[in-house]
Formats: sequence, structure tokens, C-alpha cells
Amino acid sequence: MDKLKLPDMDYVALLPMLALFVAACLGVIIEALVPRRFRNIIQLVLSIVALAVAMFFVVKQSGEVVASKALTAGGAIMIDHAALFLQGALIVLGFVALLLFGERSLEFGGPFVAQAAVTVGSERDREQTGRELGSTETFPLALFSLSGMLLFVSANDLLTMFVALEVFSLPLYLLCALARRKRLLSQESALKYFLLGAYASAFFLFGVAMVYGFAKAVDFKAIHAEALLGEGNSLLLIIGLALLAIGLLFKVAAAPFHVWTPDVYQGAPTPVTAFMASCTKVAAFGGLLRVLYVGFDGLGWQFTPVLGAIAALTVLVGSILAVTQTDLKRLLAYSSVANAGYILIGVIAGQQLGLTSVLFYLVAYGFTVIAAFALISLVRDADGEATHLSRWAGLGARSPLYAGIFTFILLAFAGIPLTSGFIAKLSVFGAAIDGGQTWLVIIGVITSIILAFPYLRVVVMMWLSEPGESTPSVSIPGGLTSTALGIGTLATLVFGVVPGPLLDLAEKASSFVR
Amino acid sequence: MIDVSWGEQVVFYILAPIAVIGALGMVMARNAVHSALWLVLTMLSLGVFYIVQAGPFIGMVQIIVYTGAIMMLFLFVLMLVGRDASDSVIETLRGQKVAAIALGVGLGVLLGTGLYRGTVDLTPVGLAEANKNGNVQGLASLIFTKYVWAFEVTSALLISAAVGAMILAHVERRKDERIGQAAMMKERFLPGNYPGPKPGPGVYATSNSVATPAKLPDGNPAQRSISPILPLRELEPAEKADKHTLTGGHQS
Repeated sequence: MDKLKLPDMDYVALLPMLALFVAACLGVIIEALVPRRFRNIIQLVLSIVALAVAMFFVVKQSGEVVASKALTAGGAIMIDHAALFLQGALIVLGFVALLLFGERSLEFGGPFVAQAAVTVGSERDREQTGRELGSTETFPLALFSLSGMLLFVSANDLLTMFVALEVFSLPLYLLCALARRKRLLSQESALKYFLLGAYASAFFLFGVAMVYGFAKAVDFKAIHAEALLGEGNSLLLIIGLALLAIGLLFKVAAAPFHVWTPDVYQGAPTPVTAFMASCTKVAAFGGLLRVLYVGFDGLGWQFTPVLGAIAALTVLVGSILAVTQTDLKRLLAYSSVANAGYILIGVIAGQQLGLTSVLFYLVAYGFTVIAAFALISLVRDADGEATHLSRWAGLGARSPLYAGIFTFILLAFAGIPLTSGFIAKLSVFGAAIDGGQTWLVIIGVITSIILAFPYLRVVVMMWLSEPGESTPSVSIPGGLTSTALGIGTLATLVFGVVPGPLLDLAEKASSFVR
Repeated sequence: MIDVSWGEQVVFYILAPIAVIGALGMVMARNAVHSALWLVLTMLSLGVFYIVQAGPFIGMVQIIVYTGAIMMLFLFVLMLVGRDASDSVIETLRGQKVAAIALGVGLGVLLGTGLYRGTVDLTPVGLAEANKNGNVQGLASLIFTKYVWAFEVTSALLISAAVGAMILAHVERRKDERIGQAAMMKERFLPGNYPGPKPGPGVYATSNSVATPAKLPDGNPAQRSISPILPLRELEPAEKADKHTLTGGHQS
């Protein structure tokens, strides 16, 4: 028998992942050794350093992508322009979201529960809510999740992709259960997300098996070649693609696989919701793009109508149900479902234009949604965040600055010009018309109008109602939340006014290597 | 048509129904322990299938790791947590069960027919080549060459799982909660506290249940003799009635 040889590893290409992974492991050790009161700051600094190192190597490599050398780690990882763009986006968005994780000035002990194992509602639980420092295992968990996401968008075969899917999902399930307030809701959301997520992963794995049955391989190049060849019974391939798509569409929260979204977004701690809404979306769409554009490119005419129907359903469900919501976090969850639909329209548009628009949309939406959740974490009363819509009435009079910022963010979600939301929607719809999907654009525009209604209702409520006795106060944010809010809002404005640089970057990045 | 040897067919037709019955039993069993045992049956059958289909390693892993270790651990946890058969069977969403069964059967039929049509004229290839150097060796070479990165990354999964288990299950005790021996003794002999051991539950001719309180000298039930988490057992009139044991059965 031949001697086994470790495949060539391009360690520089893997460094972004390795940096986050090592930092996460160090974070676990810090949890064991460092006294509780120093942990938050140390974990935060460590995470930011790791993200900076990862970003440095992503940027360094972006200048040196060569198609012949892009494949590494025995053909498991593909570092091409699209992968680097997505990795960079994930790292930057992850950084902004992690700032929210570290915030300790809004509430004593931060947004996370001190001891998640204490029974909800017990004497001990009431004591720890107000008095104990929050757990900081959230930082290593978030870093593990991020390193999984980096792998997910650069995986070159379905097996590696599946492992990456699990690596980035498992910490998210855990993070959802760690809210300091309303812990039952939080635990319920974690359990729901875990059960449904495990189910979706099983579909994905089943799909991998089917595709392997057809192509006798799991890497995208071989699948593409085999699909082009068209020999054998392609039924297996189509079943496989359908099952893979279920797994991926669950993660992007497309209807009818979106049912977990409102419950999880509402129950999870707000920083985690921001992290999920921005980073998970980028990672899941990155994976979906790679599967569809690299592996199943030859099947375009078969999956486009199905995905088109799903996109139409997603924007309709998201926008119509958003109208009926009375809780802000749920409202934003349905808005994120609708936004997943708009991004899907860009995915279906195909070609380079579609890819560019999707990449731009993901980054633009990620920044805006983090800013939105950062602001939600500011509006609070004695019981924590006041997320019920009626409580926000008259906030404009109480605190014009934050109400103004929130108005701006909502206008960006609605796609009003001079915000990044406008440019993002414009480019996605433009790409879709170019790709011959005009019917989707018509549905997209109609649902955008429907979706503007709940946003504007919040705006009207904030500015035109008199503040009542139950209107909560807006906490003065600490440095971390202010920074996150500032970055998110500024990005929304800048990408809306001068979208050129990011669009150029996305255009350069919009090429997969097969 | 795929050529399947006679022995393989016999094994399949015996074990396949058993596996399906196990799966159905796992879903339908009311008792969590029974559910787990049904699942063990299905897993063992699948393990034998894998071995029969020339995958001895995955077959043995299925039996030793999944069935032997994980399911048994699962059973231990069920026993430790305390099995509770009183799961609510009331549907919170009306018609959910029917809809779920209909959709599930539909999906099963769809996938089943799809798979049948997709594989009916398929010729399996590559088994001899994959097992050329032996099954275990073949797997090992794949894990340590082509999929080495995925294999290493699973360690992140394990660490997250361990951290998660610690977060969700472990309660750190605070310093002021740790009571020393001296303090504990002082508390024990404080006025108002009864320092002796608690009496056991009542043992009578009619009942020796742990939920039956012992009787104090004046005939009242001794509340300290039963565990506070047990519901007090309601005695039926026949049990409550005087059995005349003291008078030798003679009614006075």
C-alpha cells in the first residue's frame, strides 16, 4: 500500500480561519483561568485582534488570487475572489456584531445571562438577573461560528460544506439560549432553532448522498462535469439538488422554510440576533451561490423556475406578515425574510450582474440590520428591552437623535434613495430584468411598497404620537454600542450616496473558480 | 438491474421490516425509554446492513459507537432525569397531527418513488476500487488526505458542544453558598429545627406506599415522614375504614 501523504496546505490561505479558530480555543482557556470580572474585556480584545489578523490576510490574498492556485487543502477549499469577498464581509460584519456582544454599560453584566443552567423564575434566577456578570463564553462561541462561516463560503466540496454548516450552526443554537431577560422565550427560541436546524442539516446531508450517487464525487467541479455530460439518470441529481436547496434555504430563511425566523429573532439576545441577521445571511447565501453557480450551473433551466417561485413566495410572506406584527424584533425578522427573497431574486438573475448585486446587497443589508438591532437594544425600561411597537410611540420627542437614526434605518430597509437599501434593491432588480426575470421584479416592487407600510407606521408612531407614561427611555449607549451603531448607520449612508467603490469591489469579486 | 446476492437478500428482507418497525415504534412509543429502545433496534439493523453492503467499518461504528455508546448514554440520562410518561397528548395546533402524517407520508412516497426510478437502471461501480486496500485503510486515506481539513474542523464542533454543555448544564456555586461543617451543625441545632433523622413513611397492613405518611402518637399523620415532592396519596373509603385488626376481626 502507498504511503499516505498530507496534501499541500496553503497555510496563508487558511490563516483567516485558523486565526479565528485559535482565538476561540484561547477564549475557552481564558474562561477557565481568568477571574470573571476581567473576562469580558480580555475576550473582546482577543476577538478583535483575531478578526484583525484574519482581515489582514484576507486583504493580503485578494491581490494574489490565481485560478490555478486557488484550490488548497487537498481540494477541499477554494480561495477565489468571491470567497475572499464573502470572508471579508463576514469578518467586518462579525466585528461590528461582536462590539454589541461586549456592551456592558446598558445593563449591569451585559446582555447575556450569568448562569444559563439556573432554573428560570427561581429565587436564584431573580438574583442573578440584576447582580451577576454575564457569561463570556459567547465570544469563543461566536468565533467558532465565524470560522465555520468562513469555511462555508470557501468550501469546494459538499462534505466540507456540511461540516462547515454544522460548525457555524451549533454555536448559534447555543447563543440563542443565553438572553439575560425573558429567558423562557430565549430558551424556546434556541430549542426551536436547534430542532429545525438539525432537520434542515439532515436534508442537506441526504442531498449530498443523492448527488454522490449521481456524480460519484462530492466536489463541485466533478458534479458540474458529470451534469454537463448528462449520462445516466439525472433524477438522482435533481432530487439531490432539491434536498441541498432545502438545507440552504432554511439557513437563509426563505419561505416556506422561514417559520423559525420570527421566534428565534425575538427570543435570542439582541446582539446574537444582529449577528445572525447579518453574518448567517452572508454565509448561507455565499454557500447557496457556490452550490448553484459552480456545482449545478448546467441545471439552470431546471432550478430557476422553482427558485423563482420560492423567491416570490418569500417576498410575499415576509412583507405581508410584517404588516401584522406588533413586536419590533418580529417585524425585523419578517423584514429579513422578505430581504432574503430580494437577494434570492438576485441569485436567480444569474450572470455576473446578478452575482455582483447579491454580494452588494448582502453587505449593505448586513450593516443596516446590525444598526437596527443595536438601536433596539438601547430602548429599554426596567424589564429590559421594550420591543412592543406601542411602547415606541412618541420616542421622537423623548430622544430625537436616536429616533432620527432609527427612522433613517427604516427608510433604508424600505429602499428610499440616498440609503444603501435603495442601491441594493435597484441593482438586484436591474440584474433580474437583465436576466429575463421581469415577473419577479414586478412582485419585488409591489412587495417593497407593502413592506414600506410597517416601516412607515413605526416612523409615524415615533414622531407623531405624544410620549405616554409607558414610553421607555433611551439608554445612553456605551462606547461599544455607539461604535456599532455609528458604523452601521454610516455604512448605510455611504453605500447609499457613493456606492461606487463597494459595487466595483463586488464586481471584481463576482467570479467563482471551478 | 442490480445483481444482489441471495444471502444479502435474505438478510435484507428479514431486517428491513424490523428496522421500519423500530422506527415506527420509536415515534409512537409513549414512554421515552421505550422510544430509545426501539431506536436501538433500528440502529442495529442498519449496522448489519452496512456490514452486508461491504462497509464493515461504518457498520461496526454504527453498532459500537451509536448504539452501544451514544444510545446507552442517552438511556442513562433518561433514567437519571427521571422518566415521565405524562407527556401531554393534547394537540396545541388543531389538525397538526393529521397534516404532519399526511405531509410526511407524501414526502416519503415522493422520495421513495424518485429514488426507485433514479436507481432502477443504475449499475453500481467503484466498490472494488474503493475497498482495494481494505475498507478501513481506504477510509483512513480519504480522511487524512482529501478531507483532512473537514476532519480537523470537526474538532471545533466538539469544542463548541463541550462548551455548550457546560453553559447549559453547569451551575457555579457562589462563595457564600458553601457552608462549612461548623455552620451546618449550628444551623441543625437551632431552635425550631428538629435535629434528628426524619421518620420513614407509614407501613401498615393496608399500605406501605412511600406516599403514605407515618402516624404520630396522637394518630395524626407525620408530615415529615413523606417527601415534599410526592403528592399525598388519597386513601379510598375501603382503605380508610377500620379493619378491626386490633380486635382480631371481631367487631366491637
